Amino acid sequence: MSGLQHIACDLCDLLIAAPTIEVGQCALCPRCKHKISRLRPNAFVSLFAYAVTGLVLLVLANSFGLMQFKLAGNVAQITLWQSASELYFDAYKILSVLVFLFTIFFPALVLLMIIMFLITIKTGIGKFYMTSLLRLIFTLIPWSMAEVFIVGIIVSLVKLVTIAQMHLGWSFWAYTAFAFCYLKVLSLVDRYQFWHWIEGWQHD
Amino acid sequence: MTKYSKNSAAAAGLANCLGCGLVSPVEKKQCPRCHAPLNLRKPYSLQLSLALLITAFIIYIPANLVPIMITEKLAKVEYVTILGGIIELWQDGSEPIAVVVFVASVLVPIIKFIILFLLYFSVRFAPGMSITKRMMLFKLTHLIGRWSMVDIFVMAVLVALIQMNHFLSVLPGGGAIAFAAVIILTIFAANSFDPRILWDNLPQSDVDENK
Ligand SMILES: [Zn+2]
Ligand SMILES: [Zn+2]
Repeated sequence: MSGLQHIACDLCDLLIAAPTIEVGQCALCPRCKHKISRLRPNAFVSLFAYAVTGLVLLVLANSFGLMQFKLAGNVAQITLWQSASELYFDAYKILSVLVFLFTIFFPALVLLMIIMFLITIKTGIGKFYMTSLLRLIFTLIPWSMAEVFIVGIIVSLVKLVTIAQMHLGWSFWAYTAFAFCYLKVLSLVDRYQFWHWIEGWQHD
Repeated sequence: MTKYSKNSAAAAGLANCLGCGLVSPVEKKQCPRCHAPLNLRKPYSLQLSLALLITAFIIYIPANLVPIMITEKLAKVEYVTILGGIIELWQDGSEPIAVVVFVASVLVPIIKFIILFLLYFSVRFAPGMSITKRMMLFKLTHLIGRWSMVDIFVMAVLVALIQMNHFLSVLPGGGAIAFAAVIILTIFAANSFDPRILWDNLPQSDVDENK
């Protein structure tokens, strides 16, 4: 955290001298034990790799069936996109939009914006939107619910398994792998680290 | 007058930018690094958070009484409320999943209401609970809130999968909209609450106790 003299804890506002932490170490607030910052080894490369892999997996998750349902010779199959879009009727349009935003759009946007951020850090292209980009990333993170959606799929499977033959499609596995990458990316996101990168590049 | 906790940035007239983590004098009004507005504490955090939570609490009543799903099995129409869906899962022999949905849809919102009301109360009146415990509760509300969304996702998947089937049909119910509104409002309420005010006006002995 070079460049900064003091930092304050987000949760208890304790003012502390900016610690110098080594890669792999974590700065804890001495008063409330909040994790202030954590430096992961190869954070830049890992972030890029997980974000790109996550996006590719999400595209794959949209190319296969998510779940299949067989009842008395009747077969129905849905895709990931349909799990949100089929709700788009009558008074329930708002729910359909929410499901789409929380499960597909926001997580994808967060990954995409992180890739854009990393590219800007490396190349300097797009400096002007950097601050807005970071603000948007941190605003959207609480609203991305990929891991919750996986539990939702499993619950709906169990609800139907007593009356019909159920089958999980490739899309489910692709989406699960995507959610794993997404959570990996989140664990590597660190505000202090991000601003440290930005400042490093401003001094060059 | 707020007495900012000892050794806090606010006590020194410094504001921690929640956007980028830079500490600057509060007179600057705007973070010199990321241009976010600077405040010692989130403005009106307690009032805003409380207003959102009360709204959520009111909507929570129809969310539980109005069906979130209407199913039709062989011409038999059923109105499924949140609790009804859980009971049905249990009776079908899927006890573990019934427990998961019960925790996510029933326990999580209730725990969130209790914790947030308790935290608001503790800012104004004698807390009767150590600051360490209250901070733990605050972190818990952030972790659990999103999981209540499970029921909405289940409903979306079921509606999509079962449309156009002759034997079964599933339609969303108004309760689902109310329930989604409750979850979104409680997430906003937790996000707008500034935990740093829990440390202000606290006797120094309570703060030291935490060490
Ligand atoms: Zn702290
Ligand atoms: Zn800032």
